[in-house]
Amino acid sequence: MQANEAATAPAIAQEQRAHRDARDDRLFSWLLMGCALLVLVCLIGAAGATLWGGRDAFATFGWRFLTSAEWNPTDDVYGALVPVFGTIITSFIALLIAVPVSFGIALYLSEVAPPWLRTPVASAIELLAGIPSIIYGMWGLFVFVPFFSDHIKPLLIRYLGREAGDTPGTEHVSWIAQHLPFMGKLFNSENLFGGSVLTAGIVLAVMIIPFISSVMREVFQTVPTRLKESAYALGSSTWEVSWDIVLPYTRTAVIGGVFLGLGRALGETMAVTFIIGNKMQLSPSLLDPGASIASTIANQFGEAGGLQKSSLMALAFLLFVVTFIVLLIARLMLRRLAQKEGR
Amino acid sequence: MTESAAAGIHPQATAASAPIAPTKIQVRDLHFYYNGFHALKGINMDIPEKKVTAIIGPSGCGKSTLLRIFNRIYAIYPKLEAKGEIILDEENILDTRYSMNKLRSKVGMVFQKPVPFPMTIFENVAYGIRHHERLSRADMDIRVEQALRSAALWDEVKDKLKQNALGLSGGQQQRLCIARGIALKPEVLLLDEPTSALDPIATSRIEQLVEELKSEYTIVIVTHNMQQAARCSDLTAFMYLGELIEFDRTEQIFTKPSKKQTEDYITGRFG
Amino acid sequence: MNNDTLYLRRRITNALALGLSTFATLIGLAFLAWILWETLRQGVSAINLNLFTKITAYGEDGGLLNAMVGSLVINFIGIGIATPIGVLAGTWLAEYANRTKLGETIRFLNDILLSAPSIVLGMFVYTIVVLPSKTLTDGSTTYSGLAGGIALALIALPVIVRTTDEMLRLVPSTLREAALSLGVPQWKLTMQVLMRSARSGIITGILLALARISGETAPLLFTAFGNLYTTVNPMDKMASLPQVIYEYANQAGDSIHALAWAGAFIITMFVLILSLLARLILSRNKVSHD
Repeated sequence: MQANEAATAPAIAQEQRAHRDARDDRLFSWLLMGCALLVLVCLIGAAGATLWGGRDAFATFGWRFLTSAEWNPTDDVYGALVPVFGTIITSFIALLIAVPVSFGIALYLSEVAPPWLRTPVASAIELLAGIPSIIYGMWGLFVFVPFFSDHIKPLLIRYLGREAGDTPGTEHVSWIAQHLPFMGKLFNSENLFGGSVLTAGIVLAVMIIPFISSVMREVFQTVPTRLKESAYALGSSTWEVSWDIVLPYTRTAVIGGVFLGLGRALGETMAVTFIIGNKMQLSPSLLDPGASIASTIANQFGEAGGLQKSSLMALAFLLFVVTFIVLLIARLMLRRLAQKEGR
Repeated sequence: MTESAAAGIHPQATAASAPIAPTKIQVRDLHFYYNGFHALKGINMDIPEKKVTAIIGPSGCGKSTLLRIFNRIYAIYPKLEAKGEIILDEENILDTRYSMNKLRSKVGMVFQKPVPFPMTIFENVAYGIRHHERLSRADMDIRVEQALRSAALWDEVKDKLKQNALGLSGGQQQRLCIARGIALKPEVLLLDEPTSALDPIATSRIEQLVEELKSEYTIVIVTHNMQQAARCSDLTAFMYLGELIEFDRTEQIFTKPSKKQTEDYITGRFG
Repeated sequence: MNNDTLYLRRRITNALALGLSTFATLIGLAFLAWILWETLRQGVSAINLNLFTKITAYGEDGGLLNAMVGSLVINFIGIGIATPIGVLAGTWLAEYANRTKLGETIRFLNDILLSAPSIVLGMFVYTIVVLPSKTLTDGSTTYSGLAGGIALALIALPVIVRTTDEMLRLVPSTLREAALSLGVPQWKLTMQVLMRSARSGIITGILLALARISGETAPLLFTAFGNLYTTVNPMDKMASLPQVIYEYANQAGDSIHALAWAGAFIITMFVLILSLLARLILSRNKVSHD
């Protein structure tokens, strides 16, 4: 009983400390949650700020903003069709090239390469993702575009498209363009030099390859060994196991990885700005210069005012919403595989 | 002391019916659920003061779960629920009003794998004390030395107190964790398979240490190693599928168990 | 007979597919080599003392001093803002909100923010920092190094949040139990024990975030804007390497282009060294990883 009395003073101190700890813990968790909520604020803020900034453009042009190809600062008339089209077409070209190449790289790294070579090659490919986009831009503008204009563009025009002659009537139409007229339109160019939608798409492809291939490689490694082994036991070849077993098993996540690359390609700014040519024109030819949403903003925002600035904000809002949706789909698909694995 | 020594002479049918020492922890009709799974089914046991009580049983029998309720460490995870009473010095620790600080300064715990904090050896021991007491530098030095001595580690580390604890061997790390636990001067020490990650030599050091510590602490040790329970405990509890099958003096359990299941287990017929 | 042709066809398909996959890898590596080689070649030949001593006001006779100083200041502000917020937010996700609905949602949205277009984040900062400061100061100073730093912070934030979250979740739960069983409150456990044991991972995240923002250009164009002279005052307009590279690449003249290449070379080296460093730290602490 004496022990109880002696224990009273420490007991009170203990009680006080418990209260203080509980309070500190609560404050600490609020502070942490506040910081975490900033992530939410950033996303909502970015959408809200661009929507608010673009309100004049949306109010003035309405739906015409999306359907008009006219972008004319002199008359103060703006339509988003050219940059929207440019964004879609460059991203599409990028995916067209990057998806098979990435699949090849992932396949090579997970099935073909000797084990000692896998880590260094994988790190090298990942290094591509670390190179800042402005470096891609420099390289694209000063190295790749001239190379492309000198060596590849003439070939594309000669064999796939149509080539304007010196005088009317002397134009050369390739065999393919004669039989598939749309090819003639895609590869028709009078601009022999400078950047184009196609070069922008190719450079974008190089930029997103590391993202797509590393996702693919990661998810390929989640395929249970016994599944692959049972297929090998039936006499399947490496390719058959990859195509018939590994790819279907990881399909959702692979699509997720592709969408992740697409999200990157849609929002990529500097590299595209350097090499797309930045011409507000709607041309069916991939060899002509064009513009993307991000390149238009980067080019014009600094000097723009009034309705033009508002239109650029509206463009940014469109870009943000579209990339958000694409990335949302990507993450949802990637998460489905993670959940399958986690259980 | 005399009481417990006297009580210790008498052989008992069950420990609960006539304790060999004053009871430190009373477990009354304890049930435990996680995610709806009924993990402990009505446990009743009296753990005597300043004795070593071993809990044995096949894996999944709930022995670690039981131990983890004694200091309510389970409460840091969601969806876990304990019902019943655990009375420590006449107070129910499962009562939500029972101060967590008080509980944890009274009940120390050592885990399966040694988990030194990423700090120096000295800081590892001082860290817990700082939270409960405000000590001068000199007093702290004394307390840390005491704790390390009681954990039979002092001679090995006295020259490298400022080195990172992660540099110690596994057995030393585990003794450091024991030192860290007893530095708070707890009354009860819970050991959750403390030697399962150690080699035989380190294991026997720890067992020796347990023997030395029981003069001051009430020790509850969970082990899957029956020889260990036989070697260093005074009482042994056998659990199976979430139930306490038998609880008695260790020699009784290992020589003349009263239940068929206990006998099957200690003779190696299952588990 | 029939079997033989089937086998042959399957073998050829296999060889062809595996050959193509090797070829795809070679394409990737070739582009990497090409880009790095050109940057190295053009950059090294453009490196000289003027680069580090003269400012961009002298044009082709100048250097990049003001841009380098500006980049340092802006990156410093960006990392300085993003690190505490990101580490605390990541800690919340790993320690307080793991497996809760709000936590999962924020973790998910953070992954989206990670690849959101940086130019839009730049416009967000333009709207909330540059525009209001214009009205506050009667339109005299609008763009600023601080605004640029905030824009970069928004880009660095999700990187730091994610690595902190992942690294803390790798810390074994026994460490938490051991600290809590000593009666240590959760905030102390988090700050003094868990952070310490996840430290190298968190530092890696900060280095990766720095690598990510040091090449960022788009959001700086309309936040920090640019400046022909050296300044360290965050309230001033400020030059930065990427922004100067962008401007110089669009001007004509070989010596101007050489300056742009020199800047590109410096940024590339900086970024590569940072990512190598990050990898090194991670591999040295392999125990806590994987």
